[in-house]
Amino acid sequence: MKLFNLGELNWRQTQLIYHALAYKNIESLVLHSSSDRYMCVGLHQNPRDELDIEYCNENNIGIFRREIGGGAVLLDNNQVFYHLIIHRNHPKVPYAPESFFRRFLQPVIQVYYELGISAEYRPLCDLVVREKKISGNGGGEIGECKVLGGSILLDFDYERMARAMYLTDGLKQRFLELMQNNLTTVQKELGVIPLKEEIYSILATKFADFLGPMTDGRIDVEITKKMMELDKQYSSDTWLYQRGTKQIWREIKVREGVLLLHKVFNTQKDSGWVTCEIEENRVKKVTFSNAFPLSHTDQQEIENRLVGMEYDGDKLLYRIIEMIKANGGVIVA
Amino acid sequence: MLLEVKGMKFPLDRKYYTKEGAHIWLKPEGDLIKIGMDAFAAEMAGSLNFLNVSKSRVKSGEVIGSFESAKFVSRFYSPISGEIISINDQVLNNPRKINDDPYNSWIVAMKPDNNEDGSEYIIEGKDEIFNWISEEIKRMEVDI
Repeated sequence: MKLFNLGELNWRQTQLIYHALAYKNIESLVLHSSSDRYMCVGLHQNPRDELDIEYCNENNIGIFRREIGGGAVLLDNNQVFYHLIIHRNHPKVPYAPESFFRRFLQPVIQVYYELGISAEYRPLCDLVVREKKISGNGGGEIGECKVLGGSILLDFDYERMARAMYLTDGLKQRFLELMQNNLTTVQKELGVIPLKEEIYSILATKFADFLGPMTDGRIDVEITKKMMELDKQYSSDTWLYQRGTKQIWREIKVREGVLLLHKVFNTQKDSGWVTCEIEENRVKKVTFSNAFPLSHTDQQEIENRLVGMEYDGDKLLYRIIEMIKANGGVIVA
Repeated sequence: MLLEVKGMKFPLDRKYYTKEGAHIWLKPEGDLIKIGMDAFAAEMAGSLNFLNVSKSRVKSGEVIGSFESAKFVSRFYSPISGEIISINDQVLNNPRKINDDPYNSWIVAMKPDNNEDGSEYIIEGKDEIFNWISEEIKRMEVDI
C-alpha cells in the first residue's frame, strides 16, 4: 500500500486525488488538507437541493459533488483529511458498510487517543466524544476499490456551514444550535490545535499498524492525467447538478441519531411545512406552519402523540400526514 | 418454493447473480428480465436511502447504478448484457421498499441481447443457491 502524505492542496485537488487513485486501482492512504474552504455533497445529493448556491458563489465557496456517500459538509483548512483506498477484494474489506466503517475507523480512533481525546465509534460512521461528533466519514465503491473518506476536525466554522445550507432562516438557526451542541473539535477538547504534520504522522503510523507497511507514493504523470480527466467531468453542470433520488422529505443530519426533517406540502391555499427534530433516533419536537390550517390545540395534540416515537424513516412522515388529515388539516396530493 | 437460510429468504422461481458479492436476482417476465436485490444484499446494506439507475445498453458485469446506505455508496451491476427498458420509479423514489420486500421490488427490466447465453456467475436451483448463500453468510460472519 502507498502512502500519499501530501500536506496542503487546493480544494479541488483534495477531492480529485483520491478519486483518481481509486480509478487507477492504487491501494493507498492519502493524508492532506485543503488550502480553501468548500462545500462537498454526497454522490446522491444535488447541490441545488442542499446548498445556498448564491451564498457559496458570493463568498468564493467552491462546490464539489463526490462519488462517495454522506451529506453536505463544509471542508476547510481547519481539518485534516484521510482517504483510504483499498481493493474491494482485499481480505480485510468486509461486505457490510457498517463493518467497513467499524473496521477502518479503528486507526483513526487511535489517533484521537494519541492526541489525548477518548473518541469512540458510533454506528454507522461517526466518531464521537461524550456523544458529540468529532469526525464525519463517508465511503463508497469507486472503480475496483472501496474508499473511506473522513476528516479530523481541528476546529469548525459552525456559522458558515449553517449559512451555506439551503434552509429557511429559522431552520438555519436551529441547525446551527444543533451543530454547536452535537459537534466538537480537537480545539474544543484540548484547548490547543496540534501541528498538522504531527497528525499526519500519527495517522500514517496507526494505519500502517493496521494494514501493514506503506511505501511513499508520488503523484506521477498517470495519476495527474486521471485527475485532470476527472476534474473536467466533475466540473460540468451535468455532473454537479445531476438529479438523484428525490427524498420523500429533507433529512439534515447533524450526527448519528440527531436530525432535522423538513417537508413542504401543498395545501388548498398555500404551501405548508412540517419540521421534526430527532434526538437519539426519537422525535423530540414537531413544528407546523400555519397553512394547514390546524388550531394550536390540534398541533399540540399531534406533537404530544409523536414526541418520543422512534424515528423509523418515511413511516413517521406518513403518520404525521394521517394525523394532520384526521385533525381537519388539508394536504393536496 | 422458497429457500430460507438464517432467516433470509431466497425464492427459487428466479436466478441469482453472484459475481463478487453482487447479490442480484433475475426473473424473466415475457420478453424482459426483471432484476432486483436479494435479501442478503438488502439486509447487509441496511436502510437504503438512495438509489440511482440510468437507462442504457450495458454489458454483463457493468455498473448500471448506485445505491447508498449508512453513508456508503455501493454500485449496482448488470447481471446480463442487454438494454434497460424500464426502471421501477416506486423503488427509485423510495429505496427502502427493497429493505421491506426485496423480491417484489424489482429495480430494472432489461431486454437481453439475442446472443446472451448466461454468465458463469448466474446460478439457480435449491442446492446451488444454498451452497452459495451459506458461503456468503460464513464470509460475512468472519467480517463481523
